[in-house]
Amino acid sequence: MNQPADDNHLEREAQGQLTRRSLLRRAAAGLSGVAVVILTGEEAYVWGSAFQEAPQGAPAPVSYDPTKHHYVYLVDIDKCIGCGSCVRACERENQVPSGYFRTWIERYHISRTGNEVIDSPNGGRDGFEALVTGELVTKSFFVPKLCNHCSLTPCVQLCPVGASYRTPDNLILVDEQRCIGCSYCVQACPYGSRFIHPETHTASKCTLCYHRITKGLLTACIQACPRGVRKLGDTVKADDEVSEIIATRHVHVLKPELLTDPNCYYLGLSHEVR
Amino acid sequence: MEHTKHIWRAVILLLAFAVLAVIGRHFLVPETFGEHGFYRYASLAEFMSKPLVHGGAESCTPCHQEIASAKQTGKHASVSCEVCHAPLAVHASGEEKIADMPVDRSVRLCSTCHLRLIARPETMPQIDLHEHLELERSEPVPDMVCGLCHPPHAPQVE
Repeated sequence: MNQPADDNHLEREAQGQLTRRSLLRRAAAGLSGVAVVILTGEEAYVWGSAFQEAPQGAPAPVSYDPTKHHYVYLVDIDKCIGCGSCVRACERENQVPSGYFRTWIERYHISRTGNEVIDSPNGGRDGFEALVTGELVTKSFFVPKLCNHCSLTPCVQLCPVGASYRTPDNLILVDEQRCIGCSYCVQACPYGSRFIHPETHTASKCTLCYHRITKGLLTACIQACPRGVRKLGDTVKADDEVSEIIATRHVHVLKPELLTDPNCYYLGLSHEVR
Repeated sequence: MEHTKHIWRAVILLLAFAVLAVIGRHFLVPETFGEHGFYRYASLAEFMSKPLVHGGAESCTPCHQEIASAKQTGKHASVSCEVCHAPLAVHASGEEKIADMPVDRSVRLCSTCHLRLIARPETMPQIDLHEHLELERSEPVPDMVCGLCHPPHAPQVE
């Protein structure tokens, strides 16, 4: 029964008549074409309108233009005394919950045998006590850490909802309203800079005190540091101190082998630091 | 034509799909999303508008001129007031004082910076508390002892 019907179809198609099969084929082609128009047209509409509309929420300081800044961060390890002032200041400035850290200090004890003892009691928040490792320590130092605001960061790449993003002024921020708390980014960050906030259940991290630096103030950690360990640079500015140090001194980044291109530079970084 | 009805059905279906897509996007895509990239640009303004907690050393000077100028002459000139005290936000709102500033006189306050640790750079003045106070190792360090000899705002150490 089927055979003759098919033959009949082919015959009619060959004659240029409309059959159900050819109709469906044309409809499919048309549908995809219309879909492209709708989607791209709609895309253009959304993007265009976004430029004209003022951003919702609190207005940005008029004088601040994110496209006119490019921040970098510098840590001078040789100066750090491990007092934890930066950790405490960050906690207070950004209401960081107890036991979580946007910045923290690690202490390294390294012996001649290459044995490493690394500790960071409460993130270095309350300072450090003397530690006996049982070996002759040949090298010991503190390493303050924070989000590296990487240029090629995995945390932004894998965010499924566009909550993690790179700002025009070279920072990585998390939109709390968008974040669904899936914690992909927490696992992806090779530096352990992120955590899920126990109250908001969204990803939280160093914002480089965006509410401060956009007003021309220093970050809480830099302001609290009594030894000038931490410095904020703006590479767009002429005679920027940090840009000068990066250009002229032996600076290093954490885990360069991961090719994340961090924007947090270290002076005096030892190879044991991961 | 005998198939006109089919074509119209398909067209109506497509139009319905398009309308749904437009309406759906309107509700699902937040405002300012995509303005500068795959994120909500308004989020930046929200970060900017977060309240300041630390005022910086300059914010203390207008009311505490005497201490501020004394501090400038001492070894603690580079230590911001809020490191040892509390952030400005708990003490003042604008030019109004809202609460007393906590004063910490514990040994702990000094030892977080000045306790001798091998990880600390040698340029930092450091002490072993027991050695410095000539105590036996088993004896506890009395609290609030540092301030008896060392004025905290402008310590002059040789």
